[in-house]
Amino acid sequence: MTAALALEKATRVFRNGSGIFDIDLELASGSIVALVGLNGAGKSTLMRVMLGMLRPQSGHARLNGHDLESAPLAEWARVGHLVEYPLAYPELTARRNLELSARLRGVADVTAAIDRTIREFALEQYADRRVRTLSLGNRQRVGVAAALQHGPSTIVLDEPTNALDPAGVIRLRESLLRRAADGAAILVSSHHLDEVARIADRIVVMNAGRLIGDLAPDTPEIERAFFEAVRTDDERATDERANR
Amino acid sequence: MRAAIWAEAVKLAGSTVGRVASVAIVVGISVISASMLLAAATTTDPQLLAKLGPVAAGDWRGFLLGAVQITGAGGLGGFAVVLAWMFGREFGDGTIAGLFALPVRRSTIALAKLVVYLCWAVAMSVLLAIVLALVGTVAGLGPIGSGTLEALARQAALGVMSVAITLPVAWAATLARSVLGGVSVAIALVVVAQVSVLAGLGGWMPLAAPALWAISLGITVSPLQLSLLVPFGAIFVVLVAQSWRRMQLDR
Repeated sequence: MTAALALEKATRVFRNGSGIFDIDLELASGSIVALVGLNGAGKSTLMRVMLGMLRPQSGHARLNGHDLESAPLAEWARVGHLVEYPLAYPELTARRNLELSARLRGVADVTAAIDRTIREFALEQYADRRVRTLSLGNRQRVGVAAALQHGPSTIVLDEPTNALDPAGVIRLRESLLRRAADGAAILVSSHHLDEVARIADRIVVMNAGRLIGDLAPDTPEIERAFFEAVRTDDERATDERANR
Repeated sequence: MRAAIWAEAVKLAGSTVGRVASVAIVVGISVISASMLLAAATTTDPQLLAKLGPVAAGDWRGFLLGAVQITGAGGLGGFAVVLAWMFGREFGDGTIAGLFALPVRRSTIALAKLVVYLCWAVAMSVLLAIVLALVGTVAGLGPIGSGTLEALARQAALGVMSVAITLPVAWAATLARSVLGGVSVAIALVVVAQVSVLAGLGGWMPLAAPALWAISLGITVSPLQLSLLVPFGAIFVVLVAQSWRRMQLDR
């Protein structure tokens, strides 16, 4: 079965030497993959390469089997993403932002999609307020809602729980679980290991631009296991440098 | 394309920058022109009258020549700031990331921005000409004859032609990934236009040709020289679309 989104031996290195190296990662329909790592591990870079915001210097990024550069526009209509900044224009109301996002994604019944999304993310009291007047958490909520309102079959969210209050986190969790059950392929990055352990089918650990292993979501003391994996990888890298 | 144009129109209509620039261009230029007319009518100071230039004549011709001069520099600046904002703000606000991975090509989004900018600039130019006609009428400059109508049309055309001149600003804001980058180039455009006029290159320099054409009542700039605006604008439309198509978020 073709992966919804896939990286094949993808490498993208910045001038300062950081980046992602030789990454293989596939998102399959109906599953949630969580990407965890320390700040600077390369999570956002990986997501940018996956969504075509950065071109890999070697390897490939594919959307439903198509190279990203040549993927049909119709395939992109079924992708929802939030990477770093929500697509929420401060001068527009939350409702108008949702409309903008829906129209750009070719949603057929825009009004129904907006109403449904506003209910799903409990945005009723903020819907007609300009985004610039909203708190950081509510802006994030608008951004997440804009990314998910068109019922995407492929979802990429970079730290979506940032600034969300506990109620918002629970709503997002339920929404992602429901979408995965409906067949969506989901990639989520987060610093909150306990939170991703509740929803992920697979937890991938990233360190220094490489995928260094998986953690089972039911791993006891998952944070300790994560830090152990990162520490072991750092020590291995230090030994390799010393032996060179 | 339709969705992208709608989105850009909504963003511009909802923005403070768009509203302030619209008022500044239409009301600002009209008020300055009216103030000059009022000064010409109420002063006997020869130095002030000299500074007022053609407006000192106190007739339609002088009034609209004064408005054209203001539009040539101030209007150009106003248009350019809006264009710099339309492109640069996506980077400043971080919304550019949301414009990737959409079923609309980024080059289409860039072209939609230019279409909306063109429509807005044409609307502002026509509105400015109408308001100037009202101001002149209220100021008692007399009935609007065919010569005055021609001058008003030239005034509106100058605004429309300013669109082509300002297009490098969109490219600069894209490359610099900031509003400030675009505004800096806008200032440079005004300076280059002035210097090229002083150097005698005016008619052949697309940046200066429209204002010279309007100020000289269409005499000193030939249609061939004015037509250079088309390839000049087209080059920058292509550059902007290419830059958006090939863009990577690597900064």
